[in-house]
Amino acid sequence: MKKFSNRYIILYITVLVAVVALLLSVVSIGLQPRQEQNRNLEKMTQILQASGFKNLDREQVPALFAQVVEEMNVAQESSSELLPLYLVQHPDSTFTYVISLEGNGLWGPIWGYMAIAEDLNTVTGVVFDHKSETPGLGAEITEAGFSSQFSGKMLFDEAGNFTSIKVVKGGVLNSKIDPKHAVDAISGGTITCQSVEEMIQECAGKYVAVFKKLREEERRQAVKDRKTYYKVDN
Amino acid sequence: MIQIRKYLGPLSKNNPVIVQVLGVCSALAVTTQLKSSVVMGISVAVVAAFSNLIISLLRNTIPSRIRIIVQLIIVAALVILVDQFLQAFFYDMSKMLSVFVGLIVTNCIIMGRLEAFALQNKPLPSLLDGLFNGIGYGLVLATVGLFRELLGKGTMWNCQVIPDSFYEMGYLNNVLMTLPPMALILIGVMIWIHRSRNKELIEEE
Repeated sequence: MKKFSNRYIILYITVLVAVVALLLSVVSIGLQPRQEQNRNLEKMTQILQASGFKNLDREQVPALFAQVVEEMNVAQESSSELLPLYLVQHPDSTFTYVISLEGNGLWGPIWGYMAIAEDLNTVTGVVFDHKSETPGLGAEITEAGFSSQFSGKMLFDEAGNFTSIKVVKGGVLNSKIDPKHAVDAISGGTITCQSVEEMIQECAGKYVAVFKKLREEERRQAVKDRKTYYKVDN
Repeated sequence: MIQIRKYLGPLSKNNPVIVQVLGVCSALAVTTQLKSSVVMGISVAVVAAFSNLIISLLRNTIPSRIRIIVQLIIVAALVILVDQFLQAFFYDMSKMLSVFVGLIVTNCIIMGRLEAFALQNKPLPSLLDGLFNGIGYGLVLATVGLFRELLGKGTMWNCQVIPDSFYEMGYLNNVLMTLPPMALILIGVMIWIHRSRNKELIEEE
């Protein structure tokens, strides 16, 4: 076997790494627009899925999204950061609000979208996704078996206080928590499920002030509507 | 003229999964569906073929003291390329395979072939050796994926093949098939059948 000098070895590995790095950068930059497009498409699909649209065709998603979803950025009370809020119009002319959720799971980021009914309290559907949770355990949060539990749960109690939705280890029925505000955790996926709970608590919590404002506006609007109604009636 | 027959060993009698028992981890993880198994098989075949080719081209310039590092750089770069490509053109697949594409780097089949073959052989034979090892791996994955999807979900390549009338008569999908233990059992069954047909593979007591 040939003997190589130290200088050769250092030079060899430096050149190799530089060439490989250059190649990967070029490919990464070249493919970025397409990947970005894919991620965007997935986001649209998830927002639509959360609001209850089923059997979505990849090709039709952008058109449908543009047609039924109105994207808003709403101001928060405590920080200057704007929150995304999606208003989804349904074929039966009801609408849902969709909020975005972001958090950290066991191994990497988790995120999702939660659709909330017009009463700004009842959850109508959720979609969760993750980067690298354990397949078969934490990764099960993406499955309907877990996420469908959220439909019909309430974010606020009767007094209007924000309760969030708890993810209960060992099952809701075995705990003292009101089943209106809780779902069952996945066995074997405890940390991911806790992260889901924290994510909902934190992200939905940011919207509490926004929801309050929206409700007030709605009430004012309703009063106004009633006045005009009476006026017409008279 | 290169004799292709010489390189066909990995497809059966020298199969990396069911004879050498390499790369079993990913074989258990991604075989819940035929489609993801095939995509994983192709990805590994591409990485194995091209890493073998590149290492073989460089074999006389690689200082043996840092050869593992050089191999790792080449394999990792190829895996990143495959991952980026899947993310751009087969997004759903890349989500389904998730971490397992990245973990091709640690697949023993690839490093094994680099060490055992590419460092001593010319580029074309190395390319073929890598390719057929990858295909041998992919074949096992596809077979396991086929049975797991058929019995676990009643579908094949995401199309329903078990008619609704069967379900009405009380047929149930075997959900155990979609879980990793069944993949291990299926690979065990494959090794059993394979050895009973190739007696020379059975070790002497």
